[in-house]
Amino acid sequence: MRLPEFTRSTRFRWTFAASGAFILCILMMFGFILAQAYSYMTTDVDALNNEIANAIASHEPQQRVLGLEQYLRADPHHVKLGGLFTADGRRIAGNIETLPPMLRGDAGAQLASLTKIDGGAREQHAVRAVARGLPEGGTLVIARSDYEFTWIVHIVERALAVGLIPALCLSLAVGVFLSIRAQKRIEEVNSKIQRIVAGELRERLPARGTNDPFDKLAALVNGMLGEIEVLVRRLAGVGDDIAHDLRTPLTRVRISLERARQKAGNLEELRRSVDQALVELDQSLAIITALLRISEIEHSRRVDGFRDVALGDIVREVGDLYEPIAEDKKVDFAVRAEAETKVHGDRDLLFEAIANLVDNAVKFTPQGGRVELSLLRHGNQAVVRVCDSGPGIPADESELVTRRFYRSDKSRRDPGLGLGLSLVSAIAKLHGFSLKFSSGPGCVAELVGQSASAQKRLAS
Amino acid sequence: MVLETVTAFIGAPEPLDQGEGDPGPQAEPHGGPEGSLMSRVLLIEDDAETAREIMAELADRGFEVDWAATGIEGLDKARTGDADVMIVDRLLPGVDGLTIIEVARQKRVCKPVLVLSALGAVDDRVRGLRAGGDDYLTKPFAIQELIARIEALLRRPSENRDTVLRVGPLELDLLSRTAKRGERVIDLLPREFRLLEYMMRRKDQLLTRAMLFEEVWNYKFVPQSNLVDVHMGRLRRKVDATNEQPMIHSVRSEGFILRAPA
Repeated sequence: MRLPEFTRSTRFRWTFAASGAFILCILMMFGFILAQAYSYMTTDVDALNNEIANAIASHEPQQRVLGLEQYLRADPHHVKLGGLFTADGRRIAGNIETLPPMLRGDAGAQLASLTKIDGGAREQHAVRAVARGLPEGGTLVIARSDYEFTWIVHIVERALAVGLIPALCLSLAVGVFLSIRAQKRIEEVNSKIQRIVAGELRERLPARGTNDPFDKLAALVNGMLGEIEVLVRRLAGVGDDIAHDLRTPLTRVRISLERARQKAGNLEELRRSVDQALVELDQSLAIITALLRISEIEHSRRVDGFRDVALGDIVREVGDLYEPIAEDKKVDFAVRAEAETKVHGDRDLLFEAIANLVDNAVKFTPQGGRVELSLLRHGNQAVVRVCDSGPGIPADESELVTRRFYRSDKSRRDPGLGLGLSLVSAIAKLHGFSLKFSSGPGCVAELVGQSASAQKRLAS
Repeated sequence: MVLETVTAFIGAPEPLDQGEGDPGPQAEPHGGPEGSLMSRVLLIEDDAETAREIMAELADRGFEVDWAATGIEGLDKARTGDADVMIVDRLLPGVDGLTIIEVARQKRVCKPVLVLSALGAVDDRVRGLRAGGDDYLTKPFAIQELIARIEALLRRPSENRDTVLRVGPLELDLLSRTAKRGERVIDLLPREFRLLEYMMRRKDQLLTRAMLFEEVWNYKFVPQSNLVDVHMGRLRRKVDATNEQPMIHSVRSEGFILRAPA
């Protein structure tokens, strides 16, 4: 037979076990009480029997019959038994039919089963009995039926039946109810999870707003799902962008190779096509390299290798590197690094970030324009600012520019990978710096970080 | 497959854009100043196809190539140490590439090593160099880059104590930090001076943009703009005046060579 589903639930089993333990406890407690009551009553009855037996036995032989009968007469609860027997076991007086062998002579208090005769009726009684051997050779037996104890046991049994069975039923019912409820919830969660696994990342686990542990767990998982959804979407977006940005150069490679294969009349023409294809391939490789580099920086633990670096030196070096480029392009390039500021970081990465900002600025500034690279100090903060007189970044795009492959529509036709600023952003994030874009007349990019001394003060 | 594409067509000597009918760097004898012996290259690379392309290209350039496909085989061959230069893939079945280098170094095999790796991470690069590698190249690479670096490793300038470097009429005084071409004094900025010094120490060698950027500017990333070209252009205008025979040659899409005028 298959048990219903809910019986397999943990909650049900726990309820079941708890009810079992509870019942066992109660039974044990009652058992103990009964045992105590029995032993107390037995001692009491035995003492009483002994006393009476002694009293009657101490009478003269004729008086004994009278005493016994008097004793037996006052018996409203029909619990008294007694008998006088001759030495050969014949009954002289009393309501005990026969003398059992173990009660012959002086026998201590014990359990016995005696037949009581009451008028014409005979009935068997479980009793506590004592026997006294009489000087002239007979035996006096005084016994008391354990009626009272049986009665108590009866009461207890009734109490148990009336109290315990409903309690048991109630606890089982609660267990069943709870486990069915839990089961239902688990099934709900289960089906949701199956949908999520199947790719429905927008699904969320049901929450009842009751703030129970289950709800808290659901809220936690939902938060996690939200994060995953965002990441997956971003990843998918990046994947599309990669595909698009790689497809463009790869298509050109294909075209130029195909044309070379069909049209090239001599080695020189073939070479020219292949060279063109190589340039496009290099572009594709550069995209992949840049992407790998960004993810390397994003996931790196280079923080361990951070040192105090003088930003002024880096700024001057970048200036040194880009000055000829700007001059070639007839862009006025000014470098100002008057403030000496040290920051905690990776020199090479910071150089790369600043170089990228300058690279961008020079690239997007038209001939005759101006690019300015400066290092400023605002209180505890070091600010590397790159201003240009280019077209600038529209306010609604200033958030987007650090995304991978994002290119402002205005610049879509310019050469470039669209990855430079996401690289800068990754480096800034690794250093705990902020990267801000605003529009002056042109574009103003600012890399803002805590100076090393301020950082140390904070740490200590 | 990038590699295949590259080697299939670039194997032939590139024409120089200066167009002097010069035979190009490939025709030069290899193996150092003596130029008598063929240079032996030990290539430890597990990918057969890559290995074949590299071997074909190296053989074309007059190298004698010994190939080991596994780490253990490579270790054996490296230990005997009769190669002039080793190309070691970082990830190999059996024994890791870096282990091979370490073992070889312990055996006092001091031949230069170029580490190849698909791992581009900077930390790996540093580890590769620390293990005893002399240069590091990330896959995929252009075969020209590999050849240029191998030649640079083979012809590493000896640590001479000369304070004046000379290539043809060009003279660089390292103490007074001055440069002259014949009688003409060339006024150089500090960075240009370093660039020229580096090129003069490696005259007649193809120096790729990446090599220059790494060695002269000390940065490992690939700049997006044509930075090196612009700097080189400036230096060239100073070194090669309009009526003089050019000494700095660019090899299209590959790099630059400094050569004494014919």
